[in-house]
Amino acid sequence: MRETARKTGVRLEHVWKIYDNGYVAVEDVTFEVAEGEFMVLLGPSGCGKTTLLRLVAGLETASRGTIRIGDQVVNDVPPRDRDIAMVFQNYALYPHMTVYENMAFGLKLRRVPKTEIDRRVRAAARVLELEHLLDRRPHQLSGGQRQRVAVGRAIVREPRVFLFDEPLSNLDARLRVEMRAELARLHRELGRTVLYVTHDQVEAMTLGQRIVVLNKGRVQQIGTPLEVYHQPANRFVAGFIGNPPMNFIEGRLEHRDGLRFVGKGGQVQLMLNAADWPKVRPGQAVTLGVRPEAVALATVEEAAVMRGQVETVEVLGAVAHLYVRIGEATVVAQVDASVRPALAQEVALRIDLDRIHLFDAETGQALPRARS
Amino acid sequence: MRRLGLYLLLGIGLVGFAYPFVWMGIATFTPEAEIPELTLLPSRWTLEHYRLVFERIPVWRGLLNSLVVALAVTASVLVFTSMAAYALAKLHWRGRETVFSLILFTLMIPFLLLLIPLYTLVVRLGWTDSLLGLIVPFMMNATGVLILRQSFLTIPRDLIDAARMDGCGELRILFTIVWPLSVPALVTVGLLTFIGSWNEVLWPIIVVREVQWMTLPQLVALFAVGGGAEGQLGPQLAAAFLLALPIVLAYLFFQRYFIQSFATSGLKG
Repeated sequence: MRETARKTGVRLEHVWKIYDNGYVAVEDVTFEVAEGEFMVLLGPSGCGKTTLLRLVAGLETASRGTIRIGDQVVNDVPPRDRDIAMVFQNYALYPHMTVYENMAFGLKLRRVPKTEIDRRVRAAARVLELEHLLDRRPHQLSGGQRQRVAVGRAIVREPRVFLFDEPLSNLDARLRVEMRAELARLHRELGRTVLYVTHDQVEAMTLGQRIVVLNKGRVQQIGTPLEVYHQPANRFVAGFIGNPPMNFIEGRLEHRDGLRFVGKGGQVQLMLNAADWPKVRPGQAVTLGVRPEAVALATVEEAAVMRGQVETVEVLGAVAHLYVRIGEATVVAQVDASVRPALAQEVALRIDLDRIHLFDAETGQALPRARS
Repeated sequence: MRRLGLYLLLGIGLVGFAYPFVWMGIATFTPEAEIPELTLLPSRWTLEHYRLVFERIPVWRGLLNSLVVALAVTASVLVFTSMAAYALAKLHWRGRETVFSLILFTLMIPFLLLLIPLYTLVVRLGWTDSLLGLIVPFMMNATGVLILRQSFLTIPRDLIDAARMDGCGELRILFTIVWPLSVPALVTVGLLTFIGSWNEVLWPIIVVREVQWMTLPQLVALFAVGGGAEGQLGPQLAAAFLLALPIVLAYLFFQRYFIQSFATSGLKG
C-alpha cells in the first residue's frame, strides 16, 4: 500500500526559467514523467536540462508554469519536503563524514529510528557493493566508489522520485558502462520514477524509456529512444542523436518525371516516391537527412545517386565508416569492413529510400512521411 | 653552506624577536635594582613583584572578567559572522553585492571615530559598568565576515544543494556542513577576535569605572600608569607578563591551524 502511494509521476506545465539578467534558460517546457518511468533529459551543454532538473528538485524556482509531483503542485515546496533524492555530477559527498554517515545523514534529519537507518544503509551498501567501505571517507575512495555512495545516499531515502544530474560523466569509459548497467538494474528493482539528465546519447538510448530532447531551453521532441532515432521531429534531433551523426545534404525538390531531390551543385540526384511525401511542394528548399547506415556502396550502376572520393576510413571492427567527399559536402557511409575501398578511390553510393528524412530548409522541421 | 647561512639569519631573527619577551619574563623575577642592567641572569630570584601585583589589583577577578568578555565576543563573532558570510557566499538575494560593499566599507572607519557615538549608545542602554557594555558592541566584525566569506566561497555549490535535498535548512547546512569544512578559517577568525578582545584597553577604560567589572588589561594599565606600581619597573612588567601569558598559550595551542589558514586561504581545492 505504502509502496504504491509513494511511486509518483512528475508533470511540468509551461515551465519557464528566466534569470535576473534576462537569460532564458528554460522556455515553455511541458512534459510528463509517468509513475515508475525512466525519463532522460538529453541535450548539448547549455540546453537547460540541468536547470530543469534543479527546478524539479526545488533548488531553483520556476519563473512561470507549474511543476507537479504526484497530485501536488510543488512550485513553493522547499526541496526537503518534496520527497525526492538527487545524485550530483561531482558526487557532492560530505568530505568530513564517513560513507556510512553520508548515507545516513538524510535519514537522521528525518528522524528515522536508528535501527531502521542501519538496516537501510546496510541494505543499500550490499546492493552497491560498498559494505567494506562504510568507515572510509570520500577522499579515500575511487571515482566509481564515490559515485556508488552518491547513488546509495539517494536510495536509502526511498524517495518518490530520483533525479540524476549527469552522474556518469566523471567516470572513465569502462566504469561508465558498468554503472549504466547497474543503474538500469536498480531502476528495474526499485521501480521508482527517474528523471535523468545527460548529454551522452548512448546513455539516453540505453537507459531511457523515453527521452526529452532539449535545445536552447526548448523541448525538441519527446519519445522513446527508437522514435527519436528513427522519426526525428526536426533537424536538431536528427543531427544530435546518432554516431556518426546523420548526413545532411542541402537541396530542393523538383517535379521532373516524378518527385526528385536535387542536391546543391547537382552532384546528388535522387528519385523519391511521391506517395511517401504527401505534403511537399515542387521547388521547396529542403535538407535531405540520411544516417550512415542507410548509405551504402552502389554495386549496380543504376542504383548510384552520388559519387565521390574516399577521404577517410575508420575501421571499427565489423563495420567501417567511409568519409566520402562529394562536391562541397562530406557524406559518411557505414559499410562492411571486409569490402572497404582504399583511400582516394572513386566510389558510387546508394541511399536506402525507406530511411531518408526530409527537413524544411527554413524551419528545420521534419516533413511528414506517409506510412504504408 | 647556504642552509647554514639561512639558519644563521633565522637565528638572528629569533633572538631579535624573542629577546625582549624572554628578558621581560626573567625581569619579573629579578630584584628591582638589577632590572635596568638588562641582565638575563639575576644575582637572585624573587617573587616580590608578583606579590605586589596580586596585593594591589584583583588579578583573578580581572582575569575572569577578561575571559568572560573575550570568550563571549569570540563565540558570538564566530556565529554571527559566519551567518553573514554564508548569506554573502552561498545565498542569492537582491542587494547582496551592495550589502557586501557596505560591510567592507565599515573596515575603513577607524574605531576611534565610533568611540563617542558608541559610548552614548551604551550609556543610554544603561550598560556602563557591566560586561554587557564590553561584549555587545563587538559581537560582529567585518574582518571576520570577509575571511569566512572567502573560505565559504571555496565550498562547492553541489555540496550545499545535496544537504538541502537531504533535508537541511540553511542554518543546519551552515553548522553541520560548512563549519566542519572551514575549521582553519574559523580558528583564524576566532584567534584574531579573541586576541583583539583580550588586548582591548581603551574601550573598557571608557565604559567601566567599577573595579569589579574591570578587565585584566585595564587593571594592568591603570596599575602601571595610575601609580599603583609606585614607579617600580618589576611589578609593571609582572602585570604585563600575566596579561600576555594566556594569549601566548592560546597561540601555541592553535598555531597549527593559524598558519595553515594563512598559507592556504584562496587556493583551497
